[in-house]
Amino acid sequence: MRRHHVRRSRIFLGFLIALGFVLSGAIGAVAYFMPAIVTAFQDTGHSITRNLPTPKSSTSASAAATASAKASAPPVVAPPGQPFTVLLLGSDNDIKFGGTLLTQSMILARVNPITKQVVMESIPRDMWVRLSSGGSAKIDAAYLHGGASAAVTTVEQDFHIHIDHYAWIGLLGLVNLINEVGGVDVVATNPVMDDFYPADLSGKNPYAFERVAVLPGPQHMNGMQALMYVRSRHGDLRSDFGRSQRQQQVLLALRAKAKLLGIADLPDIATAMANDFSTDMSISEIASLLPIASSVQLQNVRQVILASPYTSTGHQNNEDVLLPNWNLILPETHQYFPAV
Amino acid sequence: MRRALSVIVLLALMAGFGFGVNRLIASRKHKIPTEGTVFIPTATRPKIVLPGTLYLAQNGDIYRLSDGYFTDLHLPAAGGSWMQPAYVPNSQDIIAVLRAAEYSNLYLLNSQGHVIRRLSNNANVHLDTVYLNHWMFYPHMGADGNTIYFSYDQPKNSSSYAVDFSLWSGTLNGRLAAKQLSNSNPFTGGDVDPTQLAGGGVLYSKFAIGSGNAYSVIAIQARPLGNPITLTTPAQDCGQPALSPDGTRLAMVCIGGTGLQSTRLEVAALSGGKLGTPKTLVNNCLCSAPVWAPDGSGLVYYNTADATGHFELWWIKGALGASPSAPLQVTTNLDFDALSPPSWSPLSSVPVMAR
Repeated sequence: MRRHHVRRSRIFLGFLIALGFVLSGAIGAVAYFMPAIVTAFQDTGHSITRNLPTPKSSTSASAAATASAKASAPPVVAPPGQPFTVLLLGSDNDIKFGGTLLTQSMILARVNPITKQVVMESIPRDMWVRLSSGGSAKIDAAYLHGGASAAVTTVEQDFHIHIDHYAWIGLLGLVNLINEVGGVDVVATNPVMDDFYPADLSGKNPYAFERVAVLPGPQHMNGMQALMYVRSRHGDLRSDFGRSQRQQQVLLALRAKAKLLGIADLPDIATAMANDFSTDMSISEIASLLPIASSVQLQNVRQVILASPYTSTGHQNNEDVLLPNWNLILPETHQYFPAV
Repeated sequence: MRRALSVIVLLALMAGFGFGVNRLIASRKHKIPTEGTVFIPTATRPKIVLPGTLYLAQNGDIYRLSDGYFTDLHLPAAGGSWMQPAYVPNSQDIIAVLRAAEYSNLYLLNSQGHVIRRLSNNANVHLDTVYLNHWMFYPHMGADGNTIYFSYDQPKNSSSYAVDFSLWSGTLNGRLAAKQLSNSNPFTGGDVDPTQLAGGGVLYSKFAIGSGNAYSVIAIQARPLGNPITLTTPAQDCGQPALSPDGTRLAMVCIGGTGLQSTRLEVAALSGGKLGTPKTLVNNCLCSAPVWAPDGSGLVYYNTADATGHFELWWIKGALGASPSAPLQVTTNLDFDALSPPSWSPLSSVPVMAR
């Protein structure tokens, strides 16, 4: 009886020791991933509430107008491994804006993990649309009137598509992300010159200007240089459209860096982007995107810019705006983003 | 006592195991090279010895590569980053750009890195009028060793947002910005990378915007402010022209108008102001800044070695001929400034001069 008791005690002791090692290993792993865990709670997994548009009956302009008839429904997210759509949002969130944020950049991305194809469609920030929160305004104001939920719902109802996820990033978030991956190698398609670039991140008067001269050709850019490249617009004949193309170029350059990243890199990236990034994706969903991004070949990337004839200049409420030609935009968009 | 000691040892082992797991995961992080992790060129040797003397820019400084050894010119670090060196024919001197945050100036330096003199004064001291500053880039010397060609953001109108490079020329011993050579397309970035042609005129890259896309064409400016002769089409989207020493071949970097972050290094015959069918030497690369060897034995260019990025020097022997050699990576982990084409002087050794 006593021998049996001693044997049980030894087994229990062995179990305790093994458990101690497992726990200490787990604590070591948790300590490593703590920044990512904190980010997971703070910046990721932000669910969005939205009003899905009614099923599309036609691609006419009148159909677009009736798209505001909404049917409340919980968001349906594409199952893992299936094609999905992400709305990428970027905001000037420096001190000038005092928390009232517009989205200067809106890019719809359709990712097909099976065929390893990606389509990026930039939505002009000045496009005059019906907002999901009511009324009409430039589409960059959707975020102002309801955050990511309003931006997602506005795009869904106006473009008659379904968006699975969104990701929002601020100025410093982009700068820090690019610095964290060691910069990006970008092919600048033309000299980007601007004598009136906002000096809001250089520690000067945020209302002052600084000069930008990005020379053409392949080059290595750090975060601040890349931000200048994607943000400058005064010296470009295409204005915001040129800027949209450059934003897509930097996204492609970041794709190349995804090949180098793994789950062990997430804590540093999470720390770098803290407070300047939010998404409805979980940290594991973000991690699962890395191999997809790195496997996409450049020839399988399609870039869409909604310049003329998809949009035309106009005037609304004493503002210069871009008027959408939905008869052209919707068929073009639905080639790549399934209509709903 | 013995039992307490055992518990302490076990706890220490557990703590060590936890720390080990933490470090093991950390060791799985990818080592992405940064500006701080690349080598200083003088601490390395190139894989092959190239003829003549090359001047290259890295991390705001300029290095000389001659007889298989790098030499740091130790240019003064204050005032900005040094870039785009250009050797002065028939001398031991070079021209280089010193780029500051709001402006850039051209300097004349000797081969040891001593500043002989500043050639331009593009800085404006009034902080509230930054647009009064100017940029000068892409200096190239004419064959006479006195005429200098460069890109300059003049003329500029302060009431407009347009800031574009035009081609200008002047002399080292006279007025620098003496003559405007080209009229750039407004709001495109303009005209860059001028090189003097032996028969007169200037070869360069001209930027334009059409069908919603920015592109460049390689052009010849036969006479100042005249209509340019274009050698390539907008669809080819080629720039960074480099003329072979015998003037018969043009190396260039083409994007193909895709904006897809990939370039091609091409070579085409140049005859009578017309370009032949280009031959692709390197495809799907981040190739830039091709420069021919002074003896025509091949050409160097920059390209990234792998997905970690960073631009290394590459060499293609016999690029003028029908069957050039495969590209050879000459340097490793040096991260040259891809916006600064190497300048290649035929002089193979430089006498040491007192600084």
